[in-house]
Amino acid sequence: MVAYAELSLTTNFSFLRGASHPEELVAQAGALGLAGLGVADRNSVAGVVRAHSAAKAVGLKIAAGARLVFSDGTPDILAYPCDRAAWGRLTQLLTRGKRKAEKGDCILALGDLCDFVEGLSLIVAPPIRIDADKLAALLARLKQIAPRSVWLGASVLYRGDDERRLARLAEVARDAFTPLIATNDVLYHAPERRSLQDVITCVREHVTIEAAGRRLQANAERHLKGPEEMARLFRAIPGAVAETLRFFDRCRFSLDELKKTEYPNETRQGFATPQDALVAHAQEGARRRFPGGMIAKIREGLDKELAVTAELQYAPYFLTVHDIVAFARSQGILCQGRGSAANSVICYCLGITDVDPQKIDLLFERFVSAERREPPDIDVDFEHERREEVIQYIYKKYGRDHAGLAATVICYRGRSAIRDVGKAFGLSEDAVGALSGMLWGWSLDGVDEEDAGRAGLNPANPRLQRVLALAKALIGFPRHLSQHVGGFVITRSPLDAVVPIENAAMEDRTVIEWDKDDLNDLNILKVDVLGLGMLSCLRRSFDLLEAHYGVKRDLSIQDEERAVYAMIQRADTIGVFQIESRAQMSMLPRLRPKEFYDLVIEVAIVRPGPIQGDMVHPYLRRRQGLESVTYPSPELKAILHKTLGVPLFQEHAMRIAIVAAGFAPSEADRLRRAMATFKRVGTIDSFRNKFIEGMTSRGYARDFAERCFSQIEGFGEYGFPESHAASFANLVYASAWIKCRYPDVFACALLNSLPMGFYAAAQLVRDAEEHGVEIRPVDINFSTWDSLLEKGAPQWDRLSPRHASMRQGIRTGRAVRLGLRKVVGFKEDDGKRIEGVRGAGFDSIRDLWLRAGLSPSALERLAKADAFRSLGLSRRQALWVVRGLRRAGDKDDLPLLARAATPALEPDVALPQMRLGEEVVEDYRSLELSLKAHPVSFLRVDLERRGILRHENLAAIRSGRVVTVAGLVLVRQRPGSANGVIFMTLEDETGIANTIVWPPVFETFRPVVLGARLVSVTGRLQNEYGVIHVVADRIDDLTPLLRQLAAPADPVGPLVSTAAVMPKGRNFH
Amino acid sequence: MWLRRLATDRILRGRAAAPADLPLAIVGEIKNAHRLTALNDAAAALGLKVGTALADARAMYPGLAVEAADPAADRLLLGAIADWCDRFTPLVGLDPPDGIILDVTGCAHLFGGESDLCRDLMRRLAIQGFRSRVAVADTVGCASAVARYGTPAAVPSGGVREILLPLPLAALRIASDLVALLAEAGLRKIADVIALPRAPLAARFGAEFVRRLDQAFGREDEPITPRLPVPAYMAERRFADPIALEADVLGIIEHLGGELSRLLQARGEGARRLQVALFRADGKVHRIEVGTGEPVRDAARVRRLFAERLAAVGDACDPGFGFDVIRLSALATERLDPVQTGLARDSGEAELSHLVDRLSARFGERRVQRLIPQNTHIPELAVAAVPAQAKSARFESYAVEQDSLGPVRPIRLFEWPEAIEAIAAVPDGPPVRFRWRRVLHEVTAAEGPERIAMEWWRDDKGNALTRDYFRVESREGVRVWLYREGLYGREETQPRWFLHGLFA
Repeated sequence: MVAYAELSLTTNFSFLRGASHPEELVAQAGALGLAGLGVADRNSVAGVVRAHSAAKAVGLKIAAGARLVFSDGTPDILAYPCDRAAWGRLTQLLTRGKRKAEKGDCILALGDLCDFVEGLSLIVAPPIRIDADKLAALLARLKQIAPRSVWLGASVLYRGDDERRLARLAEVARDAFTPLIATNDVLYHAPERRSLQDVITCVREHVTIEAAGRRLQANAERHLKGPEEMARLFRAIPGAVAETLRFFDRCRFSLDELKKTEYPNETRQGFATPQDALVAHAQEGARRRFPGGMIAKIREGLDKELAVTAELQYAPYFLTVHDIVAFARSQGILCQGRGSAANSVICYCLGITDVDPQKIDLLFERFVSAERREPPDIDVDFEHERREEVIQYIYKKYGRDHAGLAATVICYRGRSAIRDVGKAFGLSEDAVGALSGMLWGWSLDGVDEEDAGRAGLNPANPRLQRVLALAKALIGFPRHLSQHVGGFVITRSPLDAVVPIENAAMEDRTVIEWDKDDLNDLNILKVDVLGLGMLSCLRRSFDLLEAHYGVKRDLSIQDEERAVYAMIQRADTIGVFQIESRAQMSMLPRLRPKEFYDLVIEVAIVRPGPIQGDMVHPYLRRRQGLESVTYPSPELKAILHKTLGVPLFQEHAMRIAIVAAGFAPSEADRLRRAMATFKRVGTIDSFRNKFIEGMTSRGYARDFAERCFSQIEGFGEYGFPESHAASFANLVYASAWIKCRYPDVFACALLNSLPMGFYAAAQLVRDAEEHGVEIRPVDINFSTWDSLLEKGAPQWDRLSPRHASMRQGIRTGRAVRLGLRKVVGFKEDDGKRIEGVRGAGFDSIRDLWLRAGLSPSALERLAKADAFRSLGLSRRQALWVVRGLRRAGDKDDLPLLARAATPALEPDVALPQMRLGEEVVEDYRSLELSLKAHPVSFLRVDLERRGILRHENLAAIRSGRVVTVAGLVLVRQRPGSANGVIFMTLEDETGIANTIVWPPVFETFRPVVLGARLVSVTGRLQNEYGVIHVVADRIDDLTPLLRQLAAPADPVGPLVSTAAVMPKGRNFH
Repeated sequence: MWLRRLATDRILRGRAAAPADLPLAIVGEIKNAHRLTALNDAAAALGLKVGTALADARAMYPGLAVEAADPAADRLLLGAIADWCDRFTPLVGLDPPDGIILDVTGCAHLFGGESDLCRDLMRRLAIQGFRSRVAVADTVGCASAVARYGTPAAVPSGGVREILLPLPLAALRIASDLVALLAEAGLRKIADVIALPRAPLAARFGAEFVRRLDQAFGREDEPITPRLPVPAYMAERRFADPIALEADVLGIIEHLGGELSRLLQARGEGARRLQVALFRADGKVHRIEVGTGEPVRDAARVRRLFAERLAAVGDACDPGFGFDVIRLSALATERLDPVQTGLARDSGEAELSHLVDRLSARFGERRVQRLIPQNTHIPELAVAAVPAQAKSARFESYAVEQDSLGPVRPIRLFEWPEAIEAIAAVPDGPPVRFRWRRVLHEVTAAEGPERIAMEWWRDDKGNALTRDYFRVESREGVRVWLYREGLYGREETQPRWFLHGLFA
């Protein structure tokens, strides 16, 4: 029985070269009975972790290395480290090459290898055409720097000269006293992948498959081959195959050695060990959090947590997060932790989160599982505008040598796959566009033949079928590495001795080669430092509250006020964190949240997981008392009692897998991870069988088991564990409270934090006005860069009847003055300058020009934004004056002379007056909103003639009637979980109307749905618990009506399209 | 004259049966984004706008036909149309991208007056597949404004002011951002600005704006820049007494060739394609063209080329009562730098090229071919025959990568591989003996296999078989290239053998 280890393996992490996933290669190697697998991607180790994890599962041995590709003409060299130190040298070598090159590239010379060669075993991969002398010289040089560590690789590649070539290589090897070693220079796991390898070669070389010619491989031989086959191919030099095992034995390094020992020590002054420091900090925090002392349950929880932390030595990790959070606090940066370990008593005591552990039941298993030994996971959200400060702090504290950002592997999605494959097949721009147009956004699905038919192509065409099949196979292939949004890796040894670091696209940013799953697999700790817009908004709100009302609030206040919940129950939640989307808003009146935990559920329930698992409606029915609360089994009662027997959170699904389907905890975790990437690996079926069989054999209904499994599938990438939901719910309450009590503060803070959330400034302003807040226009004499609060009083006459019940609760006492930042294209520097020199105010445009030294274009933007009203100038007059200023605009041009020299001798020019409609259009153009009127109000006569209802009247109409509504399209949302249904939100001068467009209707009215800015929708009205929808039967494009705003009777017509000024409508998934 | 759908007309008229009422959009890359740059009437009727992103248009109309923008082709076409307009007046100017200006002063009456001229022009353009609007007026500015924004017609002399006032300012041929600026001030129509004081206008909107205004109203003169005549390499000879003898004709051609040669030399060019136009006294014209493999300006060589061609054409070039004009023109030229003449000059290259030219002139360009290497692994496709005269500067040649003392490909490759019987070791051993053309050959030496997989993307049935090629030598010294079709075990159970070529 021969044994063979394949040592030259290119995975698809050698982008556009390898044509198989590491997992596929490992599975194939196992099936072929290989003794081991060496993974060596081109100047990269990005794929080794995946191969390592997959190999562990099938019990295959893996050597992690890299294929060094030189830019100085040296043949490729496969390098495998034999111990931890050599691994570090390999990654440092790659880091050096990568830092010299552009993003994604690597420049290496043979000399670089010499510097890091110690402990590396090298296989020289000879070039196709062998120059014996050169090769001998290279081997001699390598042997000099790395004695007894050099092999000469040989492959049988069916080029016709294999015998001759092998003999020659054997001769060279013998003369150089270098062992010859067999490899198959593998590019894919099975010969069937040749076609895909050809296609990605075409993509890489930017040629079509017909033109690629000899750039493609001549045959399909570069697949993994079994020991017998390799022995047969190398029958002339049998030693070469046996040599692979000797080589493989030297590669003792395992990626498991990188485990958490790499974590920095985090010693604290005055404490002997990190654990001591953690205990001390936690106890100090506990005294602050629980001035009256902890209840027994919490006390026990804390002790238990501290014990586990001690056992697993995770104290340094908590200290790191504690330190980062403490830094943010010291800078006044608002932050909050989430993630599996975040909602623990420790984190509450350390101030990492503000969710009172007494309010939610803590699942200790979720905190840190001692059994699974998986690392704790804490993500910390910071104000998005100030996250960079935190990142810089981390860099400064640990040094760039020890801290770095994790990568995100950007993979082929449906659209990019069809685009690249289509191009390689020479499909016209047309056809490719039509095919990818069938996919919505980031779909992971391929185009099927039916879609192709609908796109106007002939699905029976074999060429097209081939394109579709290959594109499908390409989906999930990694395409390049990008920077993760905020995953920080911190290591004790230099980071580049753990993993190669490469330049990111952003200047001065570097990113490591592994993504968060890889880090997780290796148990390398990371802290997610994320930016969250709502935190910026809340910090602004808290500041304004204190400054204007003397009210001190922070995230830890959860006063559970009834008025706040009353507001949420009415779905009056525009601008509130998380629960402002259409789907959330339609859920609120049915769920009727009454307390904090209801918010936790609300946040988690409108997610792909529960929706796909069809868990939402059972939960709602039980909650409304329409269905009795039962449990599938007593063991599940313990897990599901808080959610009325319905699994809603990610951990529910995992616990069901363990308790009800008999999964081992580690298996359940693999299942969850496989879900996130299942398109890639395709091992889901075995999990599925095991899960469903496991549950049915334990007496559960098959239907319930299947629903649980689809829920896990839905969780995949968007899973929401309870602790995440709890942290988010805290922000929901905090933002809802401000909106409920101080809508002026809320509006002002939101406007200054844009862009964020679902709504644009226009809707936020309108919502504030409907809550009785006076909004004042941008004006050079009053506005600062940010919007601000001015003296004012509630405008009760503007309070919408819908919100009448809130009148007692609203404490607004200020008016909001829009800031200069709302002026499209106006720069912050200019805004600050105006603030700085304004003094008692400006008395003319010249005055502003001379004192603030603004450029004519900046002045123009202000004029267009109608910001000179306090000078008595209309928009048009102001613009005329601005345009008349001496255009040179240089500061040197400004002094007294200029003032005197430009006489006011210009003849008066009478400009045509602007109509109100035009003013509104211009407002939208330069402010994206108008305080003067709603655009639709000008069309009301016309709309009434068409029998179109005002949105405010919809509430009075009973369900089932056919109505027609019309408005500007604000948002189109197509949730991935809703069977292709599109929610389209329309706005008229009286409010918002929500419409539902089913796929057949969408196909009929596709151009209108996607392109129109003003539409009318005719359909049946649905009113469920006050949630009103119009289910569209017919959609008409009214966009041309918008012309009337600017020029009702002008034969010439508007010169610049009026419609283009109106919001285009944002698309969400 | 405004060719309002030039870009789409260009494409649609080229299509034999394309219904013109199908929406068509032209897509160009503007700032790294694909945007619509032109539409036909049907596409415009859908509500699409120039400037829309292709992706947006596509989302709205998945079936929309699009073509890539080709401004160069549009420009060429506009030039061609302008040339065609020479029939109306010699003074034709371009107004790119889609306008042409004709100075018809004093010649409109030849076509039945200005109104008839407009109608005639539009009709004739329509026959050729161009949608156009034509206006005649006292000033270029006014004619252009009316053609694009008014009702196309002849504006009576003196009626400029009246017809211009209601038109939008864009009609003044000013940039669209300037139009937007004016609109912000509430100025939309020409009437809105004509009464305003000029100084503030000029200060705010620039002198160019005021100049355009003046040009339209005829307060400032605007000359038409006529299209430059194409540099023509042409030599012509007229005869009082028509000549008919072939020898005389060739003599004249050589003489004209000399004249042409001087013209070409002056510009450092040589002819790649030459035409002789033989104008028969009775009005019939014979046009005879020859091409060359490399730029030529040698008169004697020109004569020889036409001699071959005339001989090949034979009676088709009937002189009738003789030719009264003979014109030699260079239709295509190329740069031809003077060649350094060495003492030991090797003229083999030039001789060969001349031979190729003469053979091509005699037998037809397609009949004289040469072989060039092709970028493919498939042996029978590895060379292609192309007309010998065709310039094929860009072909990739490949170094042999295999380790071999002899050639890796046979000297003679059969067009059709010949089936043979062979006995070989499985799975991929060389044949031990094989029978070819009924003769049994014992193999004494073999090398291989070289495994060449067929092009899977051309194969519709999914059964492209892989070939294993062997170079073998028989006991009798026959050296051949043969292959087994189908991989043993993976593709075929009974692979077949073929002989594909002979080494020496």
